[in-house]
Amino acid sequence: MRVPLERKVLNENDRIAAALRQRFQQCGAFCLNLISSPGSGKTTLLERTLAGYDSARRVAVLTGDLQTDNDARRLARFGFPVRQITTGGACHLDASMVERHLADWKLDGLEILFLENVGNLVCPTSYDLGEDARAVLLSVTEGDDKPLKYPATFHHADLVLLTKTDLLPYVPFDMEQARENARRVQPGIEILDLSCTTGDGLDRWYAWIERHL
Amino acid sequence: MSIAASVLDAVRAESLHHGAHISRAGLRVGELSGVEIDSLRFCLDALVPGSGLEPLAFELEPVPWTRRCRACGAVFRVVDYQPDCAACASPLTDPEAGDQLEISFVELEES
Repeated sequence: MRVPLERKVLNENDRIAAALRQRFQQCGAFCLNLISSPGSGKTTLLERTLAGYDSARRVAVLTGDLQTDNDARRLARFGFPVRQITTGGACHLDASMVERHLADWKLDGLEILFLENVGNLVCPTSYDLGEDARAVLLSVTEGDDKPLKYPATFHHADLVLLTKTDLLPYVPFDMEQARENARRVQPGIEILDLSCTTGDGLDRWYAWIERHL
Repeated sequence: MSIAASVLDAVRAESLHHGAHISRAGLRVGELSGVEIDSLRFCLDALVPGSGLEPLAFELEPVPWTRRCRACGAVFRVVDYQPDCAACASPLTDPEAGDQLEISFVELEES
């Protein structure tokens, strides 16, 4: 006997993500999921971002990697709560990992929670973490056609960050082409460009975050 | 691989819910789901033996990426990343389908 269904495969993940989202909303935190290839500058962007925040602000980071707690140690220097999620082989974060690592954290009064996903432009796309928004980083040392090669990731993003723009004189990356490719996958997507080395564009990035608080 | 494991978990849950062995299940895999259909098939084939769910076969159905036009209402397939309406060329279109990753049916073994 054939029984028709419309059951999402990631039902269980989505259920946990929905509970997390409700928890973030209740405590008024803005949660941002950062996704990119390895080496696009997620950790460096977070370092620059945390360095710019007054210590009185309530900001926290969960950072995911296959192995090592190097990123958590890099980010902990800024005095904000940071916790490493070591996935031990999984190429993405899922909602239960986030839930587990937040279990003993008091989120009351938290303003911003950054979730730094595992460096991977494919698998993190499928996993809702309960975030309010998703940002995809694309560095200028990569190909400007990446939005076309990984349309699912860019289709589900709220913001594209074109990073390492200080390197533009040395690479063939075409900024306008990259923007156009992102807009072909998702018309109307927000796109910012920035360099963590020179600080160019960081003001617009901070403003984007503040607009969502 | 963890997606394939989630598929088996879902099949197991459906099997318990219906109180019957599931011999066949359908999966809808959207073009925008981020899941490569051949890789998923490979992972499912690897995970089913020893899962306690065998014999279990899957039918994988790709779902094209489509958008809906706000001006004329047409639902059209996105070809070559072109988001404008294929019918009336309006640029005002919204996502319609293509990001599904869902079980579309299960076949229960008659006892």
